[in-house]
Amino acid sequence: MNQDLYTAGMNTAAGTLLLTAVLVVWRRELRAMVMLLACQGVALAALPIVDGIAHASAEVIGVGVAILALRGVVLPAVLLRLVARRGPARRGPARWVPARRESAPVVGTSLSLLITALLTVTAFAVTRPIVRLQATVGSMAVPVSFAVILIGIQVMATRRRALSQTVGFLMLDNGITSAAFLLTSGVPLVVELGASLDVLFVTLVLGLLARQVQAHFGDSDVGRLRELRD
Amino acid sequence: MTMIRTALRPDTDAAGSEPQASHDARQGHEARSAAAAAWGGAATSLVGLAGVVCGIVALAGRSWSLSLDGLFPMVGVQLELTPLGGLFMLLTGAVAVIVGIYSAGYTRAGHLGGFPLAVMPIFVATMLLVPAAGSVPTFLLMWELMAVSSMMLVLAGHRRAEVRSAGVYYAVLTHLGFMAILLGLLLLSAATGTTRFAEISFAIGDVGHGARTVIFVLTLLGFGSKAGLLPLHAWLPRAHAESPSPASALMSAAMVTLGVYGIVRIDLDILGPGPRWWGLVMLAVGAVSALFGVLQASVATDLKRLLAFSTTENMGLVLVALGAAALLTSSGMRDVAALALAAGLLHLLVHGSFKMLAFLAAGSVQNATGLRDLDRLGGLARRMPVTTALFGVAALGAAGLPVGAGFVSEWLLLQSLIHRPAAGDTLMALTMPLAIGVVALSVGVGVVTMVKAFGVGFLARPRTDEAAHAREAGAPMLLAMALAALVCTVLALVPAALDPALRALGRTLPVPVATLGGVVIGPAGGLGSIAPAVLAAGMASAVILAVALSRIGSRRRPPAQSAAPLWACGADGLTSRMEYTASSFAQPMQRVFRGVLRPEADLSVVRAAGSAYDVEQMAYRERPTDAVEAHLYRPVLRLVRAVAGWVRRAHTGSVQLYLVYGGVGLLIVLVLAR
Repeated sequence: MNQDLYTAGMNTAAGTLLLTAVLVVWRRELRAMVMLLACQGVALAALPIVDGIAHASAEVIGVGVAILALRGVVLPAVLLRLVARRGPARRGPARWVPARRESAPVVGTSLSLLITALLTVTAFAVTRPIVRLQATVGSMAVPVSFAVILIGIQVMATRRRALSQTVGFLMLDNGITSAAFLLTSGVPLVVELGASLDVLFVTLVLGLLARQVQAHFGDSDVGRLRELRD
Repeated sequence: MTMIRTALRPDTDAAGSEPQASHDARQGHEARSAAAAAWGGAATSLVGLAGVVCGIVALAGRSWSLSLDGLFPMVGVQLELTPLGGLFMLLTGAVAVIVGIYSAGYTRAGHLGGFPLAVMPIFVATMLLVPAAGSVPTFLLMWELMAVSSMMLVLAGHRRAEVRSAGVYYAVLTHLGFMAILLGLLLLSAATGTTRFAEISFAIGDVGHGARTVIFVLTLLGFGSKAGLLPLHAWLPRAHAESPSPASALMSAAMVTLGVYGIVRIDLDILGPGPRWWGLVMLAVGAVSALFGVLQASVATDLKRLLAFSTTENMGLVLVALGAAALLTSSGMRDVAALALAAGLLHLLVHGSFKMLAFLAAGSVQNATGLRDLDRLGGLARRMPVTTALFGVAALGAAGLPVGAGFVSEWLLLQSLIHRPAAGDTLMALTMPLAIGVVALSVGVGVVTMVKAFGVGFLARPRTDEAAHAREAGAPMLLAMALAALVCTVLALVPAALDPALRALGRTLPVPVATLGGVVIGPAGGLGSIAPAVLAAGMASAVILAVALSRIGSRRRPPAQSAAPLWACGADGLTSRMEYTASSFAQPMQRVFRGVLRPEADLSVVRAAGSAYDVEQMAYRERPTDAVEAHLYRPVLRLVRAVAGWVRRAHTGSVQLYLVYGGVGLLIVLVLAR
């Protein structure tokens, strides 16, 4: 693989990472959000795979494949099951009808996109010292990781549905994973596996929580949990 | 219904109304719990025995150290036997041996579940490892393990609200203390650049004066909280009163003394006798604690609470001795300082022995009657003669009267304080008489307290049915208490038995330690010396002589004519309502020290229906309050609560808002860290 192809591959992956994050902010259809998340997972997996092919490192490619399997396939599938479940017919009385849309986000779509833009600019601004430190293809993509982290937090903070918040959390984690990979140029497989397992468990628990909230209150608005404070 | 009741309250004796099947099940359960008790007690005793052996080996001068680097990440665990640590291991181990025997019998009565029984050996082991710790991280680890395991013992009866409240007090104060110790010791190892105590002692010379002072203040505060000294003492009366009696005995006789170990180890041994005001601060903290403790004890009506306050008093006296030793050393009077330090250490050991005995006897009373309130006890001397006699030994020791265990050490402490200060030494000339006054006053009030505990609790007539139907404790409990009484008596009559230990300490500590010598004990020069064994022999022979003479005399006298009851002024029909109660006995004390104790009184009047003057019922309650709690703790708690109230406003319960907080926090960090 020649240098140009490598640079182009890395940049495309990083660009897709950011683009999918922005699109998640824009779309309010839950199924679409999960699909975008799957795309982001694939883009994230592309980073180590391209890097591994360029440097002919089997371990890094292995990490990439693991990421692809988990973030591109397994996690979106878990979330899709939550969205797609039509329960009532088979599960007796209408315990919960899954919400298809993020009905009323805390912040409107246009304002959200504005905030996203601001966060992206901030991310690029605060990571300048890191980029200046070593101007490799990898570290050039670090601002994107930070932007994805911040956008993930934004999605979590501005959405009401437990499922959209889970998507936000997974975006945040995608950002962290990519930052870790880009900054250290190759996280050991063991560390990556451990972190991935954590994320899988968190997603399963959050999915369970969303279902419970929905079963109790009829919708999955986490604002209903407000009463739980001390 | 009966089943449920007995299941919830295993200590109620409901056997009479039970069906046969559950009676059998109960017997099986009892047999199992007795076996568990025997194993738990044996484990505690064995761990204690190991501690005694290690302590003796350390005091014999055999140094031994062990480094387990893999046990704890990064820093490892270092153990080291020193003579000073050996003294405390000996004390803790001896207490644990006796308490282990006791708890084997105590548990059988159903007061101690399997859980505290299992925790007790662990607690003893951690207490033994604290003085064996050779480095700062090990010390802190063991200290915290000790706090946690004792916490479990305190919470053994967590179904009662008082126990939970005691647990909260203990957790908060012990962790405040731990914070202070943690900061102090971290500063110490940061200033010296090493975590090993042995290396710290070498490197301490390079540490600046300011750092030393901060370390001194922090460690004194932290270790003082464990020793029950003011101002972080409030956990002690609660935790000691509410935990099961064997645990109270372990805590009061062994764990509390480890606070003093910390003070001696860090503040006297490692930091060395510092500037004069250090000694003065220790003296003042000790004096205030001693007075406060003994005054609170004198008005307490709960037997275990009384004993707990007495612990604060005795630790205060020990600290007075340590402070006096530091002051006298800095004034160049090393002989007198040595005597003060020996008196303090002796008092520590003696207090361990008599306080253990007192708590064990209180536990046996509680076991037999279910009561701790002195106002409802009484008349136990007839029903429980052995326990009464043994509690008498403990009370005599705590009162500091001759032949009692506490007498020699308090006498020596007074002797070390009474001396002629060097000419022109105004500080000493002012301090020492005040200290003498404090010691004398607290010993005097201590006598009143112990007379109250013994007289009201054990003599006279029983005030309640529970007290009237008390049964003597079982053999293991009596055996343990007898052993404790034996230790008390040996320490009271032959304190010179401790001389080898004191000599070993004197070789290692920077402050000199006097030895007690042979039969005659006292300051060099002979003035003010005493011979406790001779004193005891004299008293015993005087009593025997008096009894013999009165026997001879009574042969000649005609038999008594009167048939009227004794002690009743010829009148009949005395009831227990006419007796002194603990409250009424303490009333004069409460009056005299009203300004300090500030009793809280409330009067509730129930008027008869439709009348402004006709009173149906009146209730008057008066109880002493803790001035330190009222004026130091409450303002702090109010402040914390107010601040927490402000913080609470930010907590709306909205998940989104919390996420915004997190995100904004991250952004701020990112922007600032650029």
